[in-house]
Amino acid sequence: MATGDEEVKSLSLYNRTSTLGGIYFLLLVNRMQMHYFILIMPVYLVHPYMVWGIVAMGLLSHLNLMMMSKWFTSSYAAKGYQGFLQLFGKRTVQVFAILGFLLILLKISIITLGYVEMLHNFIFPSMDKRWLILIILLISLYVASHGMENTLRFVVIAFLCGAWISVMFIPFFFQPDANYHDLYPLIPTEWSGQSWQGLLFIWSAFSGPVYLVFMVPWLSSNKKISKYLVIGNMLSIMEYLLLFVASVLFYGSYYLRKIDFPIGYMGSYIQTSGLERIDYILISFHMFNYVFDISILLLCFYGAGRIFMRKMKERTTRIGFWSSWLVILISIILMDQWLWQTVPGQNMLLNIQIWISSCIYLLIPTILFTAVKRKERM
Amino acid sequence: MEQYDPQMKIHQMSTWLDELKQKLNHMDDAEIIEHKIGTSASVHLLYIKTLIDPERLNETIIQPLHRSACNSLSSCITNAKVSEVLSFEDAEQKIMQGFILLNDSVNDQWLGVQLENPLGRAVEPSQTETVIYGAKDSFSEQIDKNITMLRRRLPITTLKTESFTIGSLSKTKVVLLYIDGLTNPEFVSLARKKIESVDFDQFLDSSQLAAFIEDHNHTVFPQFLQTDRPDACAYALGEGKLTLLVSNSPFALIAPITFFHLIQSPEDYFLPWPVASFLRLIRYGSFIVSLTMIPFYVALTTFHYQMIPLPILFVLLESRSKLPFTPFTEGLFMIVTLEIIKEASLRMPTKTSQTLGVIGGIVIGQAAVEAGFASKVLIVLMGISAIAFFLVPNYQVTKSMVLLQILLLILASFLGLPGIVIGLIGILAHLHALTSLGQPYLAPIAPFYGKDWNDLFIRGPLIWMKTRPNYLKPLRKWRQEMKK
Repeated sequence: MATGDEEVKSLSLYNRTSTLGGIYFLLLVNRMQMHYFILIMPVYLVHPYMVWGIVAMGLLSHLNLMMMSKWFTSSYAAKGYQGFLQLFGKRTVQVFAILGFLLILLKISIITLGYVEMLHNFIFPSMDKRWLILIILLISLYVASHGMENTLRFVVIAFLCGAWISVMFIPFFFQPDANYHDLYPLIPTEWSGQSWQGLLFIWSAFSGPVYLVFMVPWLSSNKKISKYLVIGNMLSIMEYLLLFVASVLFYGSYYLRKIDFPIGYMGSYIQTSGLERIDYILISFHMFNYVFDISILLLCFYGAGRIFMRKMKERTTRIGFWSSWLVILISIILMDQWLWQTVPGQNMLLNIQIWISSCIYLLIPTILFTAVKRKERM
Repeated sequence: MEQYDPQMKIHQMSTWLDELKQKLNHMDDAEIIEHKIGTSASVHLLYIKTLIDPERLNETIIQPLHRSACNSLSSCITNAKVSEVLSFEDAEQKIMQGFILLNDSVNDQWLGVQLENPLGRAVEPSQTETVIYGAKDSFSEQIDKNITMLRRRLPITTLKTESFTIGSLSKTKVVLLYIDGLTNPEFVSLARKKIESVDFDQFLDSSQLAAFIEDHNHTVFPQFLQTDRPDACAYALGEGKLTLLVSNSPFALIAPITFFHLIQSPEDYFLPWPVASFLRLIRYGSFIVSLTMIPFYVALTTFHYQMIPLPILFVLLESRSKLPFTPFTEGLFMIVTLEIIKEASLRMPTKTSQTLGVIGGIVIGQAAVEAGFASKVLIVLMGISAIAFFLVPNYQVTKSMVLLQILLLILASFLGLPGIVIGLIGILAHLHALTSLGQPYLAPIAPFYGKDWNDLFIRGPLIWMKTRPNYLKPLRKWRQEMKK
């Protein structure tokens, strides 16, 4: 155990006291797929026949997760960093770490900016967004400071406090003005570039669990893992479908494309005799998801930084961890100032994120699957 | 460790009498009696008369010595436990614990006879955890009596007790109880290690011991369950937990516990399961209501007027129209006032505290509204919140909750509803990182133990609870003998 000054500076972020069971795979897959994209999904999909797009991409995601489960159950995965070294060599892992560092930075930035945009639009239109960014990052820092194992376990709380939100949209299926004709055509009469973009968007929305690849040492990997991965993915498909169909029923395809945050505005139409504007509660509670996501990514970000700075043999330090957090904070604020505040800038960032997350969801499982198979043959 | 040398021991023991006399100097209640046996031998009796039972001293030691019908000193004393004293420190400690020290000059031997004055009170019902059904007895300050109560409930040889003495001034006896072959040895050795490492001069209550051996010092949440109910302790022992009894304290410490134990009541297990589950859900609901209701009011009135339906908004505006304070100041003022009233009523005699309750609850509440210190709506919410507080059975948690309520109030005044959610995330993350005797505080939610959920938010039928809680890693998982 560290003592004195050393104890003040060091921080046990990646310690492992026990491994987490299969249920965590299920919850992690589900929660990591329910982030910012799900709130803007209806804007990108619009046409009712995209229901099949969600199902098709979901099934493809199943295949991808099955491929990833091969990695989870391999002996390399349990070794963590050492496993990657054995597979790819030091230099390649460092290159991957630099790429990962940038990708995680982009992902954290976009999900934070997206959520802050929601908070700003719906709850605090007059507040400076930078304060909201700071507060969300501070609470994420607090959650992440308890270490990878605790943060991974936090997924149960994130699930319990966040999953019920989707259930609140079920009544939209049974409202008197819900026009089921809006769900037609279910077979596309025409196919455009926008439709392809929609499919790409769905694929990228499913890409969250790709980061699980780096968390296997904390998770218990056995042969039944694929079952949990598939259930988690299935749960996400159902949530995607529920929210998308509800929004099509509520707005219709024509109006759907004109609204920025369809899910958010739908929430504002939920009323009870004691409270109105339930969307305030829904948007606030959605923060559980974001904080969890950002915390996990923050730990991955610091981990990637340690790899490319060749600090893996040294202990984790508070200074290093807080510096990583500061880098994220500064980059989000700069991104907000320079790009996010304009529509083209915002679209550009979203498009970059869609393309990048789609690519990594396609590449990482394939690369790992191939590398493990090749090594096993050798 | 020092080598045992009989010669050295005899030499040392001969000087003990003088040293003890010196130690007992200026103690009016210390007595040293010399009693002749036969012609040459003499026996010295040393004791503190306020600590011993004089009647038993007479029956057990003085009269047999007078009869002088015994060969050795230890054979004279037949109706009390006699133990040999092997060190001067032991002699000093024993005399201060109500032992009679006897110096057998013939055999160069020091003996200790425990004749402690039983200063106990009668067995009374629990004052802190009252139940309608269930046992009415509670622990007292006498540690041996408390162990008896547990042994009567668990008459098994596997119920082990280990004694420790802590506190350089108080010499407090601590007894660690666990069921051998059931409780995970990891907990026992951790508890043993923690107690042995305690270094402080005075321990007057079990809560002080808890403060020294808990895993996290900087938290408002207790990591040991303090209870004065022997049935609760016996149930905990049977589940695979361990119990600590501290002399002169009527409260036992149970560990490892989870956060959910603090919301559960012993009565949950005495009622039919649907009733118990309903009451438990109400208790959880009350916990959330008491914690968030006032912050929610502040968030709504400060930031989110749109959430309030128009008819209620009119009532609220009318109620707040003459107030000079912000909702935050108003809320904080009422929370602090309520705490003052609660604390005052606890410290006063029972009859006065009832009057105080009436004055506090009705007169001050009414006057606060009329004077423009608080709105009527807030007084109503305050009343609901205060009553909801009392549903939480653990006193320590209710005290901690006030601090958390103020924290949420501050966050709500700055950030409205998102502020409350940020506070809740912070509280849950904090709880999530806590451990009780090394075990996670939020189990069975995180880490997730699905099978333990039948005794979490609902209390499932007892016949379904065939296994002991998984998070306790008991050595015997099944509660049924057949499945053992």
